[in-house]
Amino acid sequence: MKPVRLLLRVVVFVLASGTALLAQAGWENSVVTIEVTSKVYDAFQPWNDPTRAVRKHGLVIGPGEILTTAQNLPTHTLVRVQKGGRGRWYDARVTWWDAQTNLALLTAEAPAFWAGLRPAALAGTVARGPEFELIRWRDGNLEARRVEFGRFTVGEGVLGFAPHVQLEVATDLNGLGWCEPIVSEGRVLGLTTHSNGRVCGVLPATFIARVLAAQRAGGFTGLGYFDFTWQPGGNPELLKELGLDGPPRGAVVTQAGREKDPGAAPQARDLILEVDGFAIDSDGDYLDPDFGHLMLENLANRAHFAGERVKLKLRRDGVERTIDYVVPAARFADELVPRENFDAPPRYLVAGGLVFQPLAQPFLRGWGDEWRKYAPFRLQYYQFADAPDGRDSLVVLTGVLPDAINLGYQDAALTVLDRVNGRVIATLSDLAEALDNSSPGGVHRFEFMPGRDLQRLLLDAATLDEATRRVVEHYGLPAASRL
Amino acid sequence: MNQFFLREGIAERLVASFGERGAKWIGALVLAWLPGCVPLRAEAPPPERAVVQILVSSQVPVYDAPWRFTPVRRSSGTGFVIEGGRILTNAHVIAWAKQILVRRYQDPRLLPARVVYAGHDCDLAVLELEDPRELSDVKPLAFGDLPPVQSTVVTCGYPAGGDQMSFTRGVVSRIEVQPYAHPGNRALLAVQTDAAINPGNSGGPVLQDDKVVGVAFQGMPGLQNAGFFIPPEVVGHFLKDIADGRYDGFPQAGITFEPLQNPAYRRVLGLGDDGRGARVDSLRAGGPAAEVLRPDDVLVQVGGFPVGSDGMIPYRGNRVAAGVAFQQAQAGERLKLSLLRDGRPLEVEVRMESYTGDRLAGRQYDEPPRYLIHAGLIFTPLSANYLETVGQLGRDYLWEGLARLTYQLHHLEAEAPGSARPEAVVLAGLLPHPVNADFGVRGRLVVNRINGVRIERLEDVRRALLENQGARHLIEFDGPEQGPLEALDRAAASAAHADILRTYGIVSDQRL
Repeated sequence: MKPVRLLLRVVVFVLASGTALLAQAGWENSVVTIEVTSKVYDAFQPWNDPTRAVRKHGLVIGPGEILTTAQNLPTHTLVRVQKGGRGRWYDARVTWWDAQTNLALLTAEAPAFWAGLRPAALAGTVARGPEFELIRWRDGNLEARRVEFGRFTVGEGVLGFAPHVQLEVATDLNGLGWCEPIVSEGRVLGLTTHSNGRVCGVLPATFIARVLAAQRAGGFTGLGYFDFTWQPGGNPELLKELGLDGPPRGAVVTQAGREKDPGAAPQARDLILEVDGFAIDSDGDYLDPDFGHLMLENLANRAHFAGERVKLKLRRDGVERTIDYVVPAARFADELVPRENFDAPPRYLVAGGLVFQPLAQPFLRGWGDEWRKYAPFRLQYYQFADAPDGRDSLVVLTGVLPDAINLGYQDAALTVLDRVNGRVIATLSDLAEALDNSSPGGVHRFEFMPGRDLQRLLLDAATLDEATRRVVEHYGLPAASRL
Repeated sequence: MNQFFLREGIAERLVASFGERGAKWIGALVLAWLPGCVPLRAEAPPPERAVVQILVSSQVPVYDAPWRFTPVRRSSGTGFVIEGGRILTNAHVIAWAKQILVRRYQDPRLLPARVVYAGHDCDLAVLELEDPRELSDVKPLAFGDLPPVQSTVVTCGYPAGGDQMSFTRGVVSRIEVQPYAHPGNRALLAVQTDAAINPGNSGGPVLQDDKVVGVAFQGMPGLQNAGFFIPPEVVGHFLKDIADGRYDGFPQAGITFEPLQNPAYRRVLGLGDDGRGARVDSLRAGGPAAEVLRPDDVLVQVGGFPVGSDGMIPYRGNRVAAGVAFQQAQAGERLKLSLLRDGRPLEVEVRMESYTGDRLAGRQYDEPPRYLIHAGLIFTPLSANYLETVGQLGRDYLWEGLARLTYQLHHLEAEAPGSARPEAVVLAGLLPHPVNADFGVRGRLVVNRINGVRIERLEDVRRALLENQGARHLIEFDGPEQGPLEALDRAAASAAHADILRTYGIVSDQRL
């Protein structure tokens, strides 16, 4: 941003507001409408980039700064903002977004946009209701509707998988989850992220504030997560078996994470007694001073971010010990079947009409809202399985664009590649390199994962490139691959 | 005077009205006219006399409480008398039957019957009346050949919507291999017709020229005017199978083959563009075909049927999946295969076997589930029936747990035969009692080890519990690597066992 423009905007801002905080009602000057046009992934034709436009809410939180949820923003092509629920739309720019926290910051260059807007204050403490207000623009009018406090809980975010604290509110309103602010006594308690029936999920303001503070200070390394699995230590007989007498307590580790050094990470059958100084009870919960009883997973992010050390007090082989556990960063790329891939446009490779893509959850979601029911079971199951041969990603044959070279394979699809020309395939780049060579007989040999599906197919090597060019032209693809 | 007139008592009335000569003249006119509108049988009784209604009271086990059964359910189907005074029907008509009653054509009595043979893989069953003499006056129906496509057939049975026998007419639409819904994991030859086949028709004969050319058995959701019947070939295979007093089932060779239409693949395997041969894609580990075949062998002929590059064979004027050629054999027979291996012709024989390794992956009938209860912990084999009982894939909150069970049941054997168990055992649930009240695991998990013993089958659970001399039983779930684990005080568990059975009214703590 150019300094002159920034200065101008700040001046306008201060003149308009007079104060840095909105002390009382007047949400029409702090809650804005955001229109996001973003690219939508086309699961079966990944070279297509269809777009979708949605409207959501944003919250002015400082000079030239709008806070909103990250939903729809990672693949945006155009973002515009509107104040007062009607009138002119102003171009906006995304200055920061993070999928795991589901937060984003926007700004708008036009000084006129900022005239009359005032920053809202994020609540610094946790409120427990019993009732709050939900603020939203609807048909050009600002609505303030009552919602009821539900509970604080710990769960994955809407976009990411790092667990963190969330607020649930109960409401009869429909169509929520578009970053509507939840407010009380002139302060913002949180932003809605999703709704499911009468329950609406809300990112708490204290969580948001901590992330924003770290982000502004340049110390935000992302959310982390505990990569080991555990079960509550509620069975006293099991604790005795693990060498612990006394009342049920703690969490029993059932599977170690990636870090195999027992001095640096919990191992299977360790009993976790404390995390970051908080005692873990027999439900696997701790008593949070702000939120009450929460699942221990929240301690990965309560006072830490990815890469920081958390002290774990364990009981192992009958002996108590404390280890410094480095909280791994929650990265989609670390999952065998990534939940999202926002780093690059959808990747694909077409070879002789065979369409290959990385196996990722967005592809599975191509089966619609009920994708868990309808997407191929075996492809879905890789989400719960260990990586075959230690590979950290998979490539799937997602379809066939019929051509003379792939005659007879028109029904071959939805199966995971194992090897091509003898080379193990984990990525599309592996596949591209494997196709630089061929197998005996002048063919490319595609082998799929052992199982009940098709095991292999061959394509003529001599005519593959020509056939691929023909397919690209015939089916109107922009390119044979996007790696 | 023929039987038709005598039976109906019309001849006497004609003689009274027109005299004997007049009556004979009128009778001749009627006989000449009748064949055009009503089937007239000078010697044979109408086939519907051999068709019976079957009334069944059944109870299905509750697979997550396997000592228990659902409330009695009443249903009906159709059957028909075959040679030997027995009744042929669908296996699904009599599955889980507690009582079977047969109602003969226009006979008010209910005649008790029992199952003699049930072939659940081909959805056929043979019944016998408790008093077989009741069928001694019924002429059994004879079987005809596979009806040609487009030819007319008539179904005969007792479908829903009324009490009397119903007839529907239609054409043979197509003939091909179809999944048989009753077993859930078998596909055999089937005939599609547009004759209405509705609930209650099941097990009824499909007739052509008064001969049975099929047994009505299933419809298909989403298709209109489409019913399916089991063709004479499948029925004949079943009847031949049981001739020795035992039903073995349709054999399998353990081969997965794929069409071989791609020019490059054909070239590599030494084949020209002549439309011959399908490719062996995979072989079931330990299966009989794995002894004599290799992946990428080309099947050129199976049991005398030439195999096309589409993986099909010509079959009595139809083109059907080559699996039909394998299904001609009986279990234990050897089937001749003509191959091309590395471009060279080869003749081999494959021993056909009745494969039961995927028994639990299909639906089971008539045998109540095995189980073992100890201290309120209910152990039972993982099966398709169990999975259908506990949930439905696609419901999010059940998804991961059910997915793990589904993978174990349907995929593990094919992907990693070395780590699959002959009979995976699940903790089906808990009968709450103070001794097990602290268990976090409430069921729906495969049991990996108990007291260090890897659980390969239900008997291992019993052995692992009985042989343990430690203070506690340690139960590990969801292998092969680490999963949840629970422990139980051994002495307290033994002491509580009888009390738990008594509290929950369970007569026996096991059915092994």
